[in-house]
Order: sequence, then C-alpha cells, then structure tokens
Amino acid sequence: MKLATIGVGNAGSKIVDRMLEFESRTDRNLCRHVHAINTARTDLAKPDYIPEERRVLIGDTNQKAKGHGVGGDVEIGAEVAKADLDEIRRAFDDVEIHTVDAILVVAGLGGGSGSGGGPVVIDALQEMYDEPVYALGVLPGEYEGGRPALNAARSLQSFVSKVDNFIGFDNDAWRAREQTIEEGYEQMNRELAARLVTLLAAGETDDSDVAENAMDSSDIIRTLDTGGVSSIGYAATQVEDTSEGLLDRWSSDSQRVNRDDGSQATKIKGLVRRAVNSRLTLPGEVSSADRALAVISGPPSEFSRKGIESARQWLEQEADTVEVLVGDDPRENSPRLSAAVLLSNVTEAPRIDQIQNQAVDAQEKIAEQEAVREEQINDLITDDNNDLDPVV
Amino acid sequence: MKLALVGVGAVGSRMVDRILEVEADTGRAFTRGNALVCDIARTPADGFDAVPEDQRVLLGDTHERVTAEGVEGDLELAADVAGADLPEFRRALDSLAIHESDGVLLVADLGSATGSGAGSVLVEELQGLYDEPLYVLGALPADDDGGTAALNAARALRSVVPTADSTLAFDRETWPGDPERDDDPEIRALATRVATLFAAGELDSPVVAENAMDSSDLIRTLEPGGVSSIGYASTDVEPDERGFLGRLLAWFSRSTDDDEATDAAKVKSLVQRAANTRLTIPCEVSSAERALVVLSGPPSELSRRGFESARQWLEAEADTVEILAGDDPRPRSSTLEAVVIFSNVTDVPRIDTLQRRALDVQAAREGEPASDDDADDARADAASETRDADGVDAADSDSGAGDASDDAPLIEDAEAVADDASE
Ligand SMILES: Nc1nc2c(ncn2[C@@H]2O[C@H](COP(=O)(O)OP(=O)(O)OP(=O)(O)O)[C@@H](O)[C@H]2O)c(=O)[nH]1
Ligand SMILES: Nc1nc2c(ncn2[C@@H]2O[C@H](COP(=O)(O)OP(=O)(O)OP(=O)(O)O)[C@@H](O)[C@H]2O)c(=O)[nH]1
Ligand SMILES: [Mg+2]
Ligand SMILES: [Mg+2]
Repeated sequence: MKLATIGVGNAGSKIVDRMLEFESRTDRNLCRHVHAINTARTDLAKPDYIPEERRVLIGDTNQKAKGHGVGGDVEIGAEVAKADLDEIRRAFDDVEIHTVDAILVVAGLGGGSGSGGGPVVIDALQEMYDEPVYALGVLPGEYEGGRPALNAARSLQSFVSKVDNFIGFDNDAWRAREQTIEEGYEQMNRELAARLVTLLAAGETDDSDVAENAMDSSDIIRTLDTGGVSSIGYAATQVEDTSEGLLDRWSSDSQRVNRDDGSQATKIKGLVRRAVNSRLTLPGEVSSADRALAVISGPPSEFSRKGIESARQWLEQEADTVEVLVGDDPRENSPRLSAAVLLSNVTEAPRIDQIQNQAVDAQEKIAEQEAVREEQINDLITDDNNDLDPVV
Repeated sequence: MKLALVGVGAVGSRMVDRILEVEADTGRAFTRGNALVCDIARTPADGFDAVPEDQRVLLGDTHERVTAEGVEGDLELAADVAGADLPEFRRALDSLAIHESDGVLLVADLGSATGSGAGSVLVEELQGLYDEPLYVLGALPADDDGGTAALNAARALRSVVPTADSTLAFDRETWPGDPERDDDPEIRALATRVATLFAAGELDSPVVAENAMDSSDLIRTLEPGGVSSIGYASTDVEPDERGFLGRLLAWFSRSTDDDEATDAAKVKSLVQRAANTRLTIPCEVSSAERALVVLSGPPSELSRRGFESARQWLEAEADTVEILAGDDPRPRSSTLEAVVIFSNVTDVPRIDTLQRRALDVQAAREGEPASDDDADDARADAASETRDADGVDAADSDSGAGDASDDAPLIEDAEAVADDASE
C-alpha cells in the first residue's frame, strides 16, 4: 500500500528514517509522505533520509520545551503537541491524502515527546482524514527502568484506543548485545524497518497485470481492521540470481534453487513458518491473533501457488483463525525472497503485562517520594530545633 | 543547555571566570559568554580572564559602611547592601540575554558574608524576575574556614534552597582548591563537572546522539528542588577519528567478544566511579529523588551493554525510578567521561555538621553579643570540642533526645539569638 508516515519524537523519527533507507535500498516506494515531528531541535538534526523541510519542530516557543525536548515527561509532551496543533495540522496540509491508503504514526512510548505527543497527532489525523491511522509503538526495555515503563503503560492505552491498529515493537526482545549504543539502535531500527516496509509495501502499485495471488492494500487494511495490538514476523532467504551479472556471484555459496514447483512450495511454506516462529516485533502468543496475513515478497519466478495455499493452511492452524490471507508481492530484481507475517490483534503479549507491573511499582515509588519531598528538604536545611534563621 | 551565569562575591565571581575558561578550552558552548559577576566593595577587583569588564558590577560602592575590604564579614550588611542596590543589579542584568537562556546559574561561596548575604537576596530577586529555572552553585565551607563560615552557610541554605529551583552544592572540605588561582586543578575539575553537565544537548558535536540529554531532561531532573550533587569520572581512550591505517590496525587487533566485554565493563565501572567517588558534595546516594547520567566519548567506546547495566545499577543505587540517561558522542575526544547528577539528595552529613557548628557559634555569640568574629570562632570551637566530648554517648545511642538536650539552652534564648543575628 501507500502510506503517509509520521515519526513523532526521537525514536519515531529514527525509525521512519530507516524505513526510507530500506525503501531506497530495495526499490520500494511505500512512504509517499513523511514527517518527523519533535520537540527537540537536536533530535531533528539526526535523520539522513527525511527531507529538511519535513522536519517539524513543535513547542519551540513553549516555556517548558523551548526546542529542547520535554525531558521524558508525557504530560508536557501531550501539552506541547496540543498547544501546537495548528502547526501540526498545517504541516499535514500538503499531504495529498488521495494518494495514500493509510497513515502510520511511529513513536517510542518510553519518553515524553512521542509518548505524549503521538496520541495528540493521531487525534488530529483521525479528525482530518477518513483513511485508517495506524501506529507503530516502541515499548521500552526493562533495563530502561521504571519511568519509561510508566510512560509506556499510560501511553499505550491512548495509542490503542485512538488508532485503527497498533503494531508493537519490544526493545527488550530486540535488545542488542555486544555493540555500541549507536550500532545497537541502528540494528534494531533496521530490523524493524525491514519488517514494516516488506509487509506494508505489498500492493503499493496495485497494478492489474500482476499475478493473481498478489496482495493488495485492501487485504492489509482488512487484516488490520481488528484494532488492538499487532505483531510482525519476518524471514528472508537469498535467491539464485537469474538476471546474470546484476549481482556478483555472492550467492554462489547459497544452494542452487531447484525450480520445480514442489520444492518452491515447500520453500515458501517453510519461509512463512520461519517468519512466524522468528522473533516477532512484539513477542506474543500466535494463536491469540484475531487475523493473520503473510506477504511473500521477491522475484515472481520464486512464487508458487501451491506454496501460498499450504502456507495459508499452516497459518490458519497456527494462529487458530480462519481469517488468514497469504499473497505475493512481486519484486522482479530482488536478490531475496522474504516473508512478512502480520498477526493482528494478538491478545497475549507478556511484555505488556510486565510493563504494566513495572509501571504500577514505579508510580507508587514516585508518589511516595513526592509525598515526603517538602518535609525532607526542610529537614535537611533546618537544624533540629530550628534555631538557625534564614538570611532573608 | 544555554545558561546565564551570575557570580556573587569574590569567590563566586572567580568560579564563574573558571567555568567560562573550561567552556572555551573544551570547545563547548553553553554560556557563550553570557555571564555577570558582582561583588560588594569600594573598588572593582581585577584579574579576570574570561569575564569582560562591562560584565562586572560593583554593589555598595557608595554605601557608608562598605570599606575597601567590602563588608568585612558582615552578612547582614551584605544582605542590606544587596537589597538597597537591587536597581543597580537589575540594570546590570540587562546585559545578559536571560530570556534566550534555558536557565540561570548563580554561583556563590555560601560561607562568605557576601556570598551568603548578598547571594540570598539576589537569588530571591532573580527567581522573581524570570520564568527560567534558577539554579545555585553554592560552595559550603571547609572545617578550617571557621565557625562563622559555617553559620553563614547554614543560614544561606535556609534562604537559598527553598527559593532556587535546585542548589548544586560543593563541599570545600572535599574540594579545597583556591578559586582565585586560575590554574588550580581542583577548581578546574569542579568547573569541568559543571560544564560537562550543562553543555549536554547543545549541538556542538558532528555526531548526533542516539538519546541526547537536552536541557529539558536536566530541568526535569532538577525539578524536585533541594540540594543536588554531581559526580564525574573519566578515562583515557583512543579517539575514533584516527588515520585510515590506525583504524585498520585497530580492526585487526580487535578480538571482538573479549573486547566488547571489556568495553562494557569499562563503561559500567566508569559510571560507578562517577557515582561513588568524590561527588561535589558527599551524600547518601540512595536519598536522591532523581538522577541523570550522560556518557560522553568516541562513539566506538560507548558500549550499549555497559551503559544499560550502568543505568540499572544506578536505579538500584539511587533507589529511584526517575533516571534519565543519554549518550554524547564525541568522535575526536580522547577521553571517555561519565557525569551523574543526583537531584534532591536529603541525606547530606556535611550539612548536619555545618549546622552543629553554626549552632555553637550562634550560642557563643549570644553569650557575648559585641564580640568580633575571630573570638566567636575560638569560643565556638572550644564549645564544639566540649560538645563533641559530651556527645560521644549521645552519638552512640544515636537518638534525637541527645541532640535535644544538647541544644536545650538555645531554645530558651532563641529570640535573643535571632535579635543578635539581625543586629
Ligand atoms: N527501537 C528503538 N527505540 C528507541 C530508539 N531511541 C529511543 N528509543 C526508545 O524510545 C523511547 C523514547 O525515547 P525518545 O524517542 O528518545 O523520546 P522522545 O519521544 O523524543 O521524548 P523526549 O526525549 O522525552 O522529549 C525510549 O525509552 C526507548 O525505549 C531507537 O533508535 N530505536
Ligand atoms: N571574617 C572576617 N573577614 C574579614 C574581615 N575583614 C575582612 N575580611 C576578609 O574577608 C574575606 C572573606 O570573608 P567575607 O567577608 O565573608 O567574604 P566576602 O568578601 O564577603 O565574600 P566573597 O566575596 O564571596 O569571598 C576573608 O578572607 C577576610 O580576609 C572581618 O572583620 N572578619
Ligand atoms: Mg529526548
Ligand atoms: Mg538536619
């Protein structure tokens, strides 16, 4: 499909930037419009692919933000976005909405700008357009501590209730190990971008002359219609280069593809199975999904009707639902065959429960500390019998 | 964070000069020279390296009781002079671009008469004038500075802490440097902490952070008010921007797994060191309400795993869920630095010590109201020795009752003491 994609906050902008990178590297054209909206000037300097004029600084005249972020405070994030609603709406003015099928808002839920501002942006979009508005929300890792968990637990409620579907990404599950801070985020964001773009770019052309099994935008929209929280699985494999010389023979060590339909069908089913069993963007119980959709993306010569059929049957069982769609996304020159599987409205996602528990504890702790704050400061600066006078 | 600095008194003014120097030397840009220093004296002091002449203001230069020495240790006089010369002070403030700043930092030696007396008055004035957060960097006196200094500081804390948005204290007992000397390593180290902390979020590095600590993050961390303490640690590393050959060699010699583990351990222990060793004011870290940590250095040294576990460690250590953590990549830097701020620490033994000392001085003064300071100090010190000797049992029993009986005579004469002090 064709998307208007909007990153809110730092994580949101970085992920949208990686989506654009993935698109340009794989010759896709999913994001017809992009915006990065943020309260921090510094963060807006980061993207490589989002055009300068598409970066919107909000709250720069707000005393609490001043172009320097909102310090992880969701309330201020929401307040600042509300105060600058006109500016946000103006930024959307040039979105030719008839050229897109849906809108995707991307944000990290652990901070203040994306977490607090995201829902405000979504409200504005829902009010302005009839097209569905989806969100991709990043859940903070446990290692980030109590405050981000609290922000996320609160913000998740707003996001889920306002969007047509919420796709989750769990930083905990995708926690990188042996890396620098920069490499860690970059890798996570690239993995996520590959999943989002492979899934959603299916049917971006909506050509009539494509194969009969082609996935189109309405299929994706239908699958996402459930609302709730969703997750994406993904798997890819190198394919034998058919257009000689286009790629150096770097696939030489990959095994030769046998071109009879039987083994292609097995391969496709295997790929879908691998995608579902892979680390999901938000780990969850597959059978709790309401609907499922799998996109098989790659050179049409790799496609197999039988493969699609058996993948669909397998997915029906696995997701325990009859609402399953499997379709192709032909990418003539792609060196890879990939499967992206959308599990829509997954109701069992343990990480969400964990975050809620972490958030409840954090909220209690914060309240306890706030309750004794004045008294403790006063105790510190006052001698036991209050015999020392202030200067003024 | 763009900051306007206001130095009060001789020591506060010198400290401002030192901070500006460090800012220039380290290529940071958070004040951009936006600084004012003011002192009470007949004639202006000189010897400033970084504060230009038109940004130095003299208060009380026409006041009859101000001598060549200034207020000569008279806190009440300093407060009176500052109060009387507020119009002068406000005029001087016009030269600062405070509305373009994200905050104001007033720097003063709270143990001195000018720092305590004028400092308290000017803090109140600044807080009333601007919406921007007002922070105080306040020096607390060392033992050797005497009882009067302790009394000045103890009283100043009662005025400054509730008024300022946060009071960053530094303890002259642990930081004994001489601010008047522009090459004093202690004072430079202290200025470095301040600069590293407040420079966060200014776009002055070619690489943008993954999670930049911006002024809003710092403001939010300091929001609870009270007293705050800064920790810092650094270690030497290879800068990222070496020649091609250097990078190639480094790449070959990198035995990934082990190296990564070492990098992670290095980062974690650096943050631990920053939090554990020589805070600007020693305190019980677990009494902090919020904390912020910034890891700064060449991107290749900023181990994700190390920083994550450091952050978790900090959350447990400071016993708070309100921790903000950010990276500050500096490709050309040859140091890996961690700066930590513990906000609203409420268990600060040094402040209790100052209060006890202050009470002794106050009690001694009340005995002989017309005495001069030196005699006060001598008497107070004698009194405090007696008290300490008496106090052994009380301290052992660790009960509030012991304190109360120690201080009991003061209660009866509390009014007399107050009268004396305001004379
Ligand atoms: N996956 C991923 N998550 C990120 C990245 N950067 C930040 N996050 C997550 O997003 C959360 C919010 O951080 P930011 O996006 O930096 O915060 P913000 O929305 O800009 O809000 P403020 O910084 O409070 O103004 C963090 O708690 C992290 O969990 C990233 O590059 N990738
Ligand atoms: N205690 C005391 N100090 C005096 C007196 N006369 C001059 N001073 C000098 O003042 C210096 C610091 O004492 P204060 O007067 O409290 O300092 P200040 O100048 O008010 O404050 P700063 O400018 O912040 O240092 C000492 O080094 C003394 O040399 C006096 O009668 N008593
Ligand atoms: Mg931020
Ligand atoms: Mg006390």
